[in-house]
Amino acid sequence: MKSLRACVATVLFVAGSGLYAAEIGKPMKMDEPMHGEMKKKGMKKGDVKKAAERKGQEMKPAMEKERAGGAKK
Amino acid sequence: MKKRTMETSLADYSPRLIRSIERRLFLRQGLSLGALALLAGCELTDDEGVQRLLMAMSRWNDRAQGWLFNPNRLAPEYPESAITKPFPFNAFYSEEEVTLVDGKDYKLELEGLIREKKPWTLPELYGLPQTSQITRHICVEGWSAIGKWSGVRFSDFLARVGADTSAKYIGFTCADDYYASIDMATALHPQTLLTFRFADQVLPPKYGFPMKLRIPTKLGFKNPKHIMSMFVTNEFPGGYWEDQGYNWFSGS
Repeated sequence: MKSLRACVATVLFVAGSGLYAAEIGKPMKMDEPMHGEMKKKGMKKGDVKKAAERKGQEMKPAMEKERAGGAKK
Repeated sequence: MKKRTMETSLADYSPRLIRSIERRLFLRQGLSLGALALLAGCELTDDEGVQRLLMAMSRWNDRAQGWLFNPNRLAPEYPESAITKPFPFNAFYSEEEVTLVDGKDYKLELEGLIREKKPWTLPELYGLPQTSQITRHICVEGWSAIGKWSGVRFSDFLARVGADTSAKYIGFTCADDYYASIDMATALHPQTLLTFRFADQVLPPKYGFPMKLRIPTKLGFKNPKHIMSMFVTNEFPGGYWEDQGYNWFSGS
């Protein structure tokens, strides 16, 4: 009886884990409108990635300058 | 029954009041903009010019909030019974699109004005002294929820890696492409935590696995999830929502 209960629990756990895994981690649909109430009209999920790439480029010279300054210390 | 620690903080204001303050700030900025436009003969239809002006005013606002920030004022902490169940999920994407980070390969990258830039694995981070807090997450959208987070006091981590704490900003990049930054005074606040656990469990993906910065003195969008790298800098790094016009400091 104990082993049956353990078996059922294991099956439920594995099934539950599978369900959990299936519910998240889907690829983000970049051209879809953003979720949440912070967005402005027309904002899409992919805008965040584009903005992050732009920001990375903008920050690069200053970061390199600081890195060089830090290395001298 | 909430444990009052010190003076008033962000959590003492109702969500409605926060939205109302945001509206008032917006109106005040709009009125000031009108006055400035009249004085300068500025073309209000010039979107870029208007945006630049508003951003400059918002940066002035940030400085004023920075001056008013009391690094010793603590956000209220709550008993376990006050925890909100279920804790809401909130992001610019749906819950099924939550980013999955592989904990086995994860390494926190450090850049900028930091002496020890060695990347940190999760076991190394989990091995640091941990602390817990039950605090209220306040969203600019008008809702709030109480949760329990555990992790490393951020000031301890910064000291350990030799961060230049005289620098102005700390920036974060995240696995879901979100980016954010905070002021150094807030980074050194005793309740600012680099968290790895939520409700005594390993931080679930939907709440930011493997790591979320928890700042109870700031609004929710200043609490980045899925942090992959951080950097210390004197160059203003902004943030995704802040670059869209939301107030950068957004805290008390």
